[in-house]
Amino acid sequence: MRGIPAARHTPAGAPPLARAVLALYPPAWRARYGDEALAYLEESGAGSGELASLLWRAAPAWAWPPAHLHDPPARMRASLATILMAWSALAVLGGAFDQLTQQQGIAPAGHPVIGWSYAIFGVALALSALVLGAGCLPLWLLMLRRARRDHSPRATACLLTPVAAPVAGLLALALILGAVGHPGGVGPWWFLAITMLGFATAAMAAAGPGIALRTQRPRGPAVRLAAVTAAIATATIIVAFAASALAAIGLYLWAHQFAGYHNGVLLGTYLAVVAAAGATAAVSATRGTYAALAR
Amino acid sequence: MTDRLDRWADPPLLVLASLAEEPKHGYAITQDVAQTMGVRLTAGTLYAVISRLEAGGLIEPLEPEGRRRPYRITAAGAQALARQSERMSHVALVARQRLSMRSGLAGA
Repeated sequence: MRGIPAARHTPAGAPPLARAVLALYPPAWRARYGDEALAYLEESGAGSGELASLLWRAAPAWAWPPAHLHDPPARMRASLATILMAWSALAVLGGAFDQLTQQQGIAPAGHPVIGWSYAIFGVALALSALVLGAGCLPLWLLMLRRARRDHSPRATACLLTPVAAPVAGLLALALILGAVGHPGGVGPWWFLAITMLGFATAAMAAAGPGIALRTQRPRGPAVRLAAVTAAIATATIIVAFAASALAAIGLYLWAHQFAGYHNGVLLGTYLAVVAAAGATAAVSATRGTYAALAR
Repeated sequence: MTDRLDRWADPPLLVLASLAEEPKHGYAITQDVAQTMGVRLTAGTLYAVISRLEAGGLIEPLEPEGRRRPYRITAAGAQALARQSERMSHVALVARQRLSMRSGLAGA
C-alpha cells in the first residue's frame, strides 16, 4: 500500500467545528464513517472548503442514506415513527390555525387568495388524515393481533394510544370549556393551554405506535404500505401547510383591522414551527420511501 | 468556459481509478486524485462517493489502521472501471478526430 502522503497540518485533535459538522449526519453514517472522516479532517487541516462540503452533503445523507448502512424495514419503521410524530404536531397546529382564522370568519374583502388558501388547507389536511389512516390501518391491526397473541399488555396499550389519547384529550377539552368557556370562546391564555394540551395529546398518540414499532419490529408488505402512504400523507399535509402559510402571510399583510394578525413575532413563530415539522416529516418520508422502493 | 468542464469530472470514476493502483484511505485517495488526475475532491464529495461505491459493491473496506480505513477496488469495481474507461477512450478518440478535422478545415 502506498505510504501516507504528507499531511498539510496535523492538529492533536479534530476541531470542535469539524465534530459539530459531522454531528449533523445520521447516526448510522457517523457510526460507519465518522471516525475516518475526522481522521481525514485532521490530516487535511479541516479547511473551510472541506467543512462546507461536508455540511452541504449532510442533508442528502439523511434523505438518501446509503443502502448498506441500514436494514430497509428498520429504516421504514423509524421513518414511520418520525412521520407520525411530526404529522400529529402539524395536525394540532392545523386545528389551532383553523380556530384562529376560518372559525373567526376572517377573510379580508378583495383578497380571494386567503379564501382559496383556507379551502386548499382544509381539503389537503382531510385528505392527508384519510391517506395516513388508511395506509397505516393494516399494519396497526397486524401489530395489535401480534400483541394479543404474545399476551403483551404493554404493546397493546402502546398501540391503543392513537385512539385513547385523543379521546382523553377531547374529554379534557370538554371539561376546560365547561369550566372557563363563554359564548365568545376562551381567553388567549386558555387557548394557549388548550393548544399545549393538544400537542401533549398528539405526542402521546404518536409515541405509542412508535414504541410498539421499535419493540415488535414488524416487517413485510404492511410496513412497506404504511411507509409509502405515510410519505404521501406527508406530501399532502405539506401542501396544506403551504396554503396555511400563504393565508397567514395574507392576514398579516391585509387584515390590519383584526387584532393579533399584524404581528410579525406570531407569524414568524408559526412559520418556523411549520417549516421545522414539515422538513422533519419530509426528510423522514424520503428515507422511508427510498427504503420501501429499494430492492 | 474550458475550465468549467473540470466540474463534470465523475468523482466515483476518479476514486475507482485511484484505488485501481492499490488500496488507500480517504486522505490518500484525495491526494492521489489531485496529483495524478488534477482534480481536487473535498471531504463531503469523497465520503458520499465512498458510501455509494461501497453500497454498490464496487469497493470494499479493509481493516482500519487506527482511525483511518483503507478501501480496495472489488472485481465488480474493476470491471465497471474498465468499461467506463473504454467508453471514455472512445469519446476522446472521436473528439480528437473531429477537432483535427475542424483544424484541418480551418487551415484549408
